[in-house]
Amino acid sequence: MTNVDIVFGGFLVSALRSATPLVFVLVGETLVQRTGSINLGVEGQMLMGAMAGYGAAALWGDPWMGLAAGALAGMLLSSVHGLLTLAARANQFASGLAVWMLGFGLSAYYGAGLVGRKIEGFGPWRGAGLGDVPVLGSIATGMTPTVLLALVVAPVTAWWFWRTRSGLVWRAVGESPDAARAAGVKVPWVRLQAILLGGLLSGLGGAALSVDHTRTWAEGMTAGRGLVAVGLVIVARWNPWWVLPTALLFGGAEALALRLQTADSGVSAHLLLTLPHITSLAVLTLTCLRDRGQAAPAGLRAVMDR
Amino acid sequence: MTGRTMAHVRTMAAPLGRPILAATAFVVLAAAFFVVIGRNPFAMIHLVLVAAVGDGYAIGESLVRATPILLCALATALPARVGLISVGAEGQFYAGAIAGTGTVLSMLPAPGWTALPLMLAVGALGGMAWSLVAGLLRTGLQVNETISTLLGNYVAALLVTWLVYGPWKNPSSQGWPATAEFPAAARLPTFFDSRVHAGLLIGVGLAVAFHLVLTRTRWGLVLAVLRSNPRAGHVAGLDFRRNALLAMALGGALAGLAGVAETASIQGRLQADIAGGAGFSGFLVAWLARNHCLRIIPLSLLVGALLASGDGLQMLAQVPSSVTLVIQSLLFVAVLLVNGWIDRKRSA
Repeated sequence: MTNVDIVFGGFLVSALRSATPLVFVLVGETLVQRTGSINLGVEGQMLMGAMAGYGAAALWGDPWMGLAAGALAGMLLSSVHGLLTLAARANQFASGLAVWMLGFGLSAYYGAGLVGRKIEGFGPWRGAGLGDVPVLGSIATGMTPTVLLALVVAPVTAWWFWRTRSGLVWRAVGESPDAARAAGVKVPWVRLQAILLGGLLSGLGGAALSVDHTRTWAEGMTAGRGLVAVGLVIVARWNPWWVLPTALLFGGAEALALRLQTADSGVSAHLLLTLPHITSLAVLTLTCLRDRGQAAPAGLRAVMDR
Repeated sequence: MTGRTMAHVRTMAAPLGRPILAATAFVVLAAAFFVVIGRNPFAMIHLVLVAAVGDGYAIGESLVRATPILLCALATALPARVGLISVGAEGQFYAGAIAGTGTVLSMLPAPGWTALPLMLAVGALGGMAWSLVAGLLRTGLQVNETISTLLGNYVAALLVTWLVYGPWKNPSSQGWPATAEFPAAARLPTFFDSRVHAGLLIGVGLAVAFHLVLTRTRWGLVLAVLRSNPRAGHVAGLDFRRNALLAMALGGALAGLAGVAETASIQGRLQADIAGGAGFSGFLVAWLARNHCLRIIPLSLLVGALLASGDGLQMLAQVPSSVTLVIQSLLFVAVLLVNGWIDRKRSA
């Protein structure tokens, strides 16, 4: 590998890998917020996805089963948020925190036997014959199935959201629930679908983290990634097209922290680990400075402004 | 009975209906969870009670656990009184622990009687400063305070980990990452030969004090107006920013106090993960109490006892302590379900 490879290709790849779990969560939470809900429970759903995914991968020896199980677990847990906010009309922030606590507790309980277990991860990807091309080659060989999946999910969702009739219905529910209702749209049903899809994607994100990115399971391993995603939705201006670059901000910060750690920079690893959170808060602040809260879908502003 | 007496009975029973329904829903959910994990629900609920309040030691440990939760619940309730949803008590707890520990470490090796009050004051200031970051972001730039306080929690926890592994690590503690032990002059007095410390009395006293301030003074009224109708508050010349910052600052100070008290009295040194979720349990308690400072006192005792029972359950029933985390969240779910359902019936 040349220096150019290591600096550009290598860094981009590790940023992409760090960003991948977040991309799924971010796409899901964007849809949730676009239809006028907010779900802080994504953190717990990620944890359930990470635990169930790791467990399934360990049980069946197949990482794909892990991703499927993680997505399912995330969706199941998100149904609690759907029940609390839509059927019981509980406060969205409180319900999200309850779901988070539930996911944290359940994943810690069922994941206790998984600590220290080894799993079979995805095999190396050949990089579609690009292995010898400079920069591009090191990027291609660094790809994993979940990274590629993330690179597909974000634009496909964006296309569906902006270009199809059902996408339009979802947007209408968030922008103007009353008008949507008048047009015969079942608003709570669309919101429930969004919450469940958000749950599925956050579970998938959690599984991508445990099964592919770190290949370990530990209690509370998501370390705030789900909550970061809730904030970054605002930075991505509730637009699925902006999910990838926004997630890369977090991924880049995490990759930088890891790089500085291995480069023996003399800065404590614990301090470096705050970098992704501080970066996220900083870009959130910059976004708010510019928008003053005016860019949010109208249906969501009703929830956020209280 | 006439319709009028029926209505009267219903109004009288209403304040009791909620807790009874919520408690029933909670017990049903908890029992269901015990069935799912293959345990006899009746035996388990009995064991939870024994482990929480079975003897003097159990009661003491429940009170120890309740102390930081009580202060963190007040830290959540104050900003909520002006309409802010702060979930930052955990981070403010750590900030208070850092500030208080720094004060004590700087006074070693022989701190005088000033150590204790100074440590508590600086700890409260540390929590206040941490909370004000989120408060200023909210009032100045409209950054959602729920998200910023949640992110701040992770940063504060990592700062503690950094300090106890790095600059503040006690060299004589070998591999164990913790600061030097606090001298006797920097410890809160304890009661009845148990670990229950003066922090509990401070917490109860502050809960009563804030209840009086919020219900009997003009400031309490100002907060109520700003929460229920910000526009009317603005017209009446009330300053949302100033009052929101004040509520965030006072809340942060309370959580910071919880952090420094826990560090000085229970652990006797600063170490990682010292909050142990007290900030989040405090949020739950504030929500259960509907931000009513007096109701926070019994409810934090309840949640503290529930969490303390986890340690006993590990011994008595060989279940991991994560079970109590699940039970705690089921309490939250039950209350949200019942409250939401009743409010919906009422508005329909």
